[in-house]
Amino acid sequence: MNFDFFGGRSSSDHPHPHDHGDGGHHHGHDHSHEPGLRAPWRSGRAASFLREHFRLIALLLYFASGLYLVAPEQQAVVTRFGRVVANGVGPGLHYHWPWPVEGIVKLKALETKRLTLGVEMPDQVLGRGGGARVQFLTGDQNIIAVVVAVQYGIKDAGAYLFRAEDATRLIETAVASAFAHTIAVEPVDNLLTTGKAAAQNATLARARALLDGYGSGVHLSAVSIENVAPPEEVADAFREVASARADRDRIINEAHGYASDALAKAAGEAGKLVSDAGGYREQRINEAQGEAARFDKLLTASGQARDLTGQRLYLEAMEEILPRMKKVVIDSAGGRGLVDLGIFQPGLSPRPTPSSPK
Amino acid sequence: MLRLAALALLALTIALRAVFALDETQYGVVTQFGRPVRTLTAAGLHAKWPWQSLLTFEKRLLIYNPRPSEFLTRDKKNIVVDSYVCWRIADPNRFLQTTGDLPGAEMRLHDTVWAATAAALGNADLASLVSTRAEAVQVEELMRQVAEQCRARAAEQYGIEVVDVRIKRVTLPTQNRESVFARMRAERERIAKQYRAEGEAEAMKIRAEADREKARVLSEAYKEAERIRGDGDAESTRIYAAAYSRDPKFYKLVRTLEAYKKVIDPNTTAILSSDSELLRLLTQGRAK
Repeated sequence: MNFDFFGGRSSSDHPHPHDHGDGGHHHGHDHSHEPGLRAPWRSGRAASFLREHFRLIALLLYFASGLYLVAPEQQAVVTRFGRVVANGVGPGLHYHWPWPVEGIVKLKALETKRLTLGVEMPDQVLGRGGGARVQFLTGDQNIIAVVVAVQYGIKDAGAYLFRAEDATRLIETAVASAFAHTIAVEPVDNLLTTGKAAAQNATLARARALLDGYGSGVHLSAVSIENVAPPEEVADAFREVASARADRDRIINEAHGYASDALAKAAGEAGKLVSDAGGYREQRINEAQGEAARFDKLLTASGQARDLTGQRLYLEAMEEILPRMKKVVIDSAGGRGLVDLGIFQPGLSPRPTPSSPK
Repeated sequence: MLRLAALALLALTIALRAVFALDETQYGVVTQFGRPVRTLTAAGLHAKWPWQSLLTFEKRLLIYNPRPSEFLTRDKKNIVVDSYVCWRIADPNRFLQTTGDLPGAEMRLHDTVWAATAAALGNADLASLVSTRAEAVQVEELMRQVAEQCRARAAEQYGIEVVDVRIKRVTLPTQNRESVFARMRAERERIAKQYRAEGEAEAMKIRAEADREKARVLSEAYKEAERIRGDGDAESTRIYAAAYSRDPKFYKLVRTLEAYKKVIDPNTTAILSSDSELLRLLTQGRAK
């Protein structure tokens, strides 16, 4: 492991913990320069100071090599002769006993890491090459390929490093197992449509319990089902279901459209009916009031000479009516039985009245 | 001076062989001429005689992932199960004597786990592995039994602690897939038909309801409209009656004359009697 005072970052964030962060220690002195050796370029006060206090400086540099910096996103674990003596050392400048006594391992503990599961490794038994999607058997015995992504962080650096030989593989395995349990009770349609979130939560809870049981020092933050796809052999049948579902929705929407249209029209028609009726009522009442007022006025104006007014109105009406129609006058004495029906023939102008005695 | 340096070098070599650090990830077994004499489980600084040697073993959890293999369930269904074993070395001394290294351990684990899994699955129906009825699925219980069996054997025989045996995946063998696909396809077709039928039924219901609602709205409006018209008729009748009752005879005259004006048009032929009110003067002169 490189020991970089100023960068503060270890170059290997997933070290194999057999490495103890002690490879890059700075001895800070150079044995090729023996104190007794005189060289022309090593003159001056600084050089002579160095030469005289060589041992002291070497010692100081050795102890200074125990200083180390933990970056904000990191946690460090300090081991003394291989044994953990400080776990989860937080950010800042710290000191440890220099090599070979103590070593440190730094981890990006706060960083969220991500794993994807469900892409097949080469597999002879099932006769598949690598790269294919992993297929599961669902609760209703459908075969389906699912890709699951996991996000996790480290909650205990010591446990993460020293509990499992391959922490990443442990996480992968635990999540795969949790997902297998989840999918074993889930019908395929749930996974394809509405049950995704529930399946994710169930998987997350189960995987967390497993990993905590193993004491892995890992905190799972999310499990998400990235991709659910039926096998290619039956993909068209699944697409057909999707299109049938779309058809169903379309048909229903059309019916809703029809319904809202019909209801809107009915409401309009109903409004018109009622409003027409209102108009009729107004009209009737207004007419009645008008005619009543007219009659009232007439009655009042005619006063005592009501018979006379009646006569006048009769004659006026006759004046108005008679000019615009055909007339046949029959003398009452001549008898009504003798009317020549020819006079009713169209085109004939009324003949002069047959009898007009005076 | 030279002798002193040689002695120092010798002492240093001996010290380096005698003192060693044991990592947190390791067990140590100190052997003397090949015979284990001491087992070290704690990490830290340890000492041994220089002629003794040290063997280290992995102390952390290990995952063994056997190849997915085919099993037969009680109801004679072939299934492919992908499982894993989470294990660790519990007794390094015994481990050293019986298996020696990790590949050897995995081989023995494979045999143990395979036998236990085959026995457990042979006693279970497919429905207890995958089923939509969650209470029917007993994978957890089955695998717990498998793990327990393996645990006892592995601890006793190989110094291995089996922490867990779990199923990672259940699927069907390749030769069964075609029939499964045929079943899946039939099921999909049924579902697609059902969706469409549901759509039609729902749409029909919506349309019928809309028609019914429309009829209701219109008939109610008709009812209301008739009531309003009736109001108008009643009110106008009341007004007419109130006005005309002052002189019904006169009203009759006036109203009749009004009606004549409306009723009679140019096609009307009137046959007038000469002794009618209007013509009496014309025919009879001013008599009486």
